[in-house]
Amino acid sequence: MNLTDLQALEQRYLMRTYKRAPVEFVRGEGSLLWDAEGNEYLDFLAGISVCSVGHCNPDVVEAVREQAGRLMHTSNLFYTEPMVRLAERLSESSLGGRVFFSNSGTEANECAIKIARKHAHRRGVEAPEIVSFERDFHGRTYGALSATPALAANPALAPMLPGFRSVPLNDAAALREAVGESTAAVLIEPIQGEAGIYPATDEVLLAAREACDAVGALLIFDEIQTGMGRTGSLWAYEQTPVRPDVLTSAKALGGGMPIGACLTTPEAGEVLEPGDHGSTFAAGPVASAAALAVLEIVDDPALLRGVRERGAELREGLLAHDGVSVVRGRGLMAGVGLADGIDAAAIGADLLERGLIVNVPEPGTLRLLPPLTVDRTQIERAVSAIDAALLSYAA
Amino acid sequence: MSSKKRPPEPRALTSSTAERLAAIVEAAERAASKVIDDAEEQARHQLQEAGARADRIVAERLRAIADELDPAAAPRREPHLKPVDSEAELGPLSTQRSGSAGARLLATQMAVSGSSREEIEQRLRSSFDIDDAGEMLDAILGPKE
Repeated sequence: MNLTDLQALEQRYLMRTYKRAPVEFVRGEGSLLWDAEGNEYLDFLAGISVCSVGHCNPDVVEAVREQAGRLMHTSNLFYTEPMVRLAERLSESSLGGRVFFSNSGTEANECAIKIARKHAHRRGVEAPEIVSFERDFHGRTYGALSATPALAANPALAPMLPGFRSVPLNDAAALREAVGESTAAVLIEPIQGEAGIYPATDEVLLAAREACDAVGALLIFDEIQTGMGRTGSLWAYEQTPVRPDVLTSAKALGGGMPIGACLTTPEAGEVLEPGDHGSTFAAGPVASAAALAVLEIVDDPALLRGVRERGAELREGLLAHDGVSVVRGRGLMAGVGLADGIDAAAIGADLLERGLIVNVPEPGTLRLLPPLTVDRTQIERAVSAIDAALLSYAA
Repeated sequence: MSSKKRPPEPRALTSSTAERLAAIVEAAERAASKVIDDAEEQARHQLQEAGARADRIVAERLRAIADELDPAAAPRREPHLKPVDSEAELGPLSTQRSGSAGARLLATQMAVSGSSREEIEQRLRSSFDIDDAGEMLDAILGPKE
């Protein structure tokens, strides 16, 4: 079956929710992918920050293979060791409270929203509100979607859930103004990912923490994209002047297996009780075993130092080109702002032809999310490809 | 004609009864007001105490983390976040206090997550305009060799 056959079947059987690039990938290893025709690609998107330990990382593959051969699913009505060990490891590496597992990032945020609303009801708030930033992306299920202003504005999907409002990113005054007695939580991405890599400033994060503390609301960090080492520390909040009450994780957590998690402080971990929430598949033994293997690799000072160093090299290399006006982000999470007049979509398409996979989240920006295991040579290769694409565009 | 007796007229309030009632209501209002004032005063006091206690906990935790990072240097260290005893010490803006605590939390979290002294210094400089973070980083990471 070739690419044309696949596209014909897609047209007939798949819902039209994605615009796929015309490539069929059949194999991956480390930072590299190969298509059905044997062409090699350097993957600087990593499945949208999922394959952070590289494609088919041998330790993750072995953990999945071993667990799949022993036990794949029992439901959450019983105990399985990988799930409990994973909860311990995640809690001890972050906020020290409890963990609720899910199958994806948007579900992790649903859990966070439930915690926030119930926590607010306990404070006597009848109609709790959740405040997020404009252009935040928290997911596509209705709770998370309602906290994602750009997508929530789609009238075809109305009505959204009540009790959500947003303020411009990094507008500390607007945030302070928006948070009041009825606020259940401030839900923010410490670095906006889907929007094009826009970090929240320390000032606005401090304002959020202060405003939440003043009224007893929770501060929730959506670290679905920024977490698991992406920014050069295990969690992005570790490079900010605040500590959230709740943190959500997914994407890289499973190294390619679907798993999400909502992590809490000890206090916030006491909010949900039996019957409040649940999931049939969440934290199944295979996904949990994969996540434990990923954490074993990522929660390593040497790897995290490498992320910061490779990130600095990437920035330096990119900023040497006149076509690059700014590089936003931290660690190996880079939003490359192109000079005025350069069509990022055209550059992205050209880069795919040149064997470099990137993403174009908005006009004028390339998003780079390479595996955290990327080496210096591969960084140089990516910078060279972007140089060549920009020169070709200018010619 | 009906021979039924009409019900007796309600007894009119005498002026002395009305005065007594007014006095009772006034006394009740005074008592309620005092209860509210006392409760507010108590709440203010408890809030102040809780704030100071929270600051002490934060200071102790930061010191504990710093001690774990560098036990040998621990005895020489001064507390780098002093407990707040009175409102006068807060300064005119509460954001100054949170900014200062934020800088220390940032430095501590970065240190715990494995960032180097240089990386933390650079971040404190760019985000908090702290040109000389030596003392703070000595307390967290131990003296620079």
